[in-house]
Amino acid sequence: MGSDSPGVRAELLVAEGENCVRGAPLFRDRKRPDIVFTAPVSGRIEEVRLGAKRRLEVLVISGAGDDRKRFDIPADADRTAVRRLILESGLWPSLRTRPFGRIPDPGSAPEAIFVTAVDTNPHAADPRIVLASQREAFGRGTALLKALTEGPVFVCHAPGEALVAEDAQIRCVAVAGPHPAGLAGTHIHRLFPVSVKRPVWQIHYSDVTAIGRLLETGELQTERTIAVSGPGIKAPHLMRVPMGTDLHELTADALVDSETQVLSGPAIGGRESRFLGRYHWQATVLKRQAPPFRPTWLRRLSGNRLLPAPIIPTEALEKVLATELPVVPLLRALSIGDAESAARLGCLELIEEDMALATYATGGAQDFGERLRAVLDTLEYA
Amino acid sequence: MIRGIWNRETIAWMLVGALLPVLAALLTERGTEAGLRVLIGLAVIGFWQLVFLIARGQPPSAAGAVTAVAVAVLAPGEVAVWQLALALSFGTVIGELVFGGWGRNVLNGAVVTLAFLYFGFPEIQHAPAGSMIALASGLSAILLVATGIVSWRALTGAVLVLLAVAASFGAEIAGFAFGGSLVFGLVFLACDPVASAATNPGRWVYGGLTGGLAALFGWAGDGFGAPQTIVFATLLGSLFAPLIDHAVIAIGTRQRRRPHG
Repeated sequence: MGSDSPGVRAELLVAEGENCVRGAPLFRDRKRPDIVFTAPVSGRIEEVRLGAKRRLEVLVISGAGDDRKRFDIPADADRTAVRRLILESGLWPSLRTRPFGRIPDPGSAPEAIFVTAVDTNPHAADPRIVLASQREAFGRGTALLKALTEGPVFVCHAPGEALVAEDAQIRCVAVAGPHPAGLAGTHIHRLFPVSVKRPVWQIHYSDVTAIGRLLETGELQTERTIAVSGPGIKAPHLMRVPMGTDLHELTADALVDSETQVLSGPAIGGRESRFLGRYHWQATVLKRQAPPFRPTWLRRLSGNRLLPAPIIPTEALEKVLATELPVVPLLRALSIGDAESAARLGCLELIEEDMALATYATGGAQDFGERLRAVLDTLEYA
Repeated sequence: MIRGIWNRETIAWMLVGALLPVLAALLTERGTEAGLRVLIGLAVIGFWQLVFLIARGQPPSAAGAVTAVAVAVLAPGEVAVWQLALALSFGTVIGELVFGGWGRNVLNGAVVTLAFLYFGFPEIQHAPAGSMIALASGLSAILLVATGIVSWRALTGAVLVLLAVAASFGAEIAGFAFGGSLVFGLVFLACDPVASAATNPGRWVYGGLTGGLAALFGWAGDGFGAPQTIVFATLLGSLFAPLIDHAVIAIGTRQRRRPHG
């Protein structure tokens, strides 16, 4: 929970042992109380755990029944009503800002919105298959996004027929190529480069569908289609599961053996977690792997203070960011936490997911996603 | 989360692997004496890597083997063992290890070693390497370019500018392909990923600069095939690499800012 929403301090609205219905508020952001997080299922609240600095770590609901909260759908799509609906339903956190990768302020407006309807992560679900039965809801959701911005709404989809009709505001863009071609960061860099004065919001296609469904039925749709794959699972498959589902329970019967590691997210950039992350649309089961190989004699000889090996600036690294940003200087600035240089080199256009391939391609000695988050925090609060 | 295999040591071992044909060519061309020099090089570099591991916790790197072979290829003259050991110590420690080891250095360790040898003991004559080493280095280049370790931009830039400038001086450029020192130096020294530029436009400029300098030194100095030519061209080119990168980044930043204030 905590790592999904950097910068959010939770104010709890429920307590352990209470019952909740799907769509009912669970907690809200202390600084921006309009942003609420709602229950993905109805049931009883099993556990609430707070971590360091009173950040919410885990909130577990055991599902029971299928009661749903009904939301009033405004008759006309006027701006404030649309905002209120998205905020109340708990779908607001599906929007993320660039720069900084945070949940946007309820009162702010972006210069553009990017809908990511393409996924090039390894083993990701094909958005066309997922959206096949939900095209109408997706179109409705996209139309609603127009009320959030004065600027364009880009819908980035895989090559082929467009998913929604274009109009004055909606623009469809077909993207093709290997990862990272499908990342919102890549699309935004090419189509609408951001700066602090020119913020952009991004949203995933399944959340757009959820907004569409909300308009249609007045109920919160919290199921998302995820791809479950990886060498630790017998047969990869697509599943429809509620947000934040228990991945251990989900995969328990399908594992090849017990020496596995369940990741929320793709094999690159995913994190080991029992629950599905807010911004993850797949789960990967890996064989449990040993920590990076460093012989014992090396550590002994160095008196247990062996330094990490540096990255080698080969030309192969240029492909890890599908942008025109200078990759090697940027990675160097991030690895030493040089926020000023990193900002000059364009790190404001990026968020954690964009760095996953860089972490992979340099052998994983350091997590550039984490480094980027630290640098972005410094830049935002400076 | 899965980790890729391309960490520093994988790249170092790839370089060592690419060196094997060169090593075979070297042993065929020069016999056991060259092999002995490689062993001395490995011993001296290994010693200093161990010292820096114990004293500063710097992990050792297989890339030291590249230095050992490069010195054996490019300094074949009548060098005494103490001279070789002194030069290797200087090159490895001052060129590489004091900066934090391979990957953090500004200059290539072999280039520093060789420059030290050429400057410190100018009376020793060094014959150019033969065509077999040129052929082997060409094979290595294919492998290294295919894996993205050696930049094709830097290599192409260096070769094109070298040929163009040398031809304009009226040199016989067809023979360059058989000059072992020149081809080996271009692939393993000039295109060392660490000591060359680290941005794509910068790689073109760096390659061009190094190739141009090699042509200039070859024409004005010891001849195009001489080992000194490519070593000094790389030394100067590497010194300019950070400046080239800085300029490329400054231009890129300005261009990105212009369209949206």
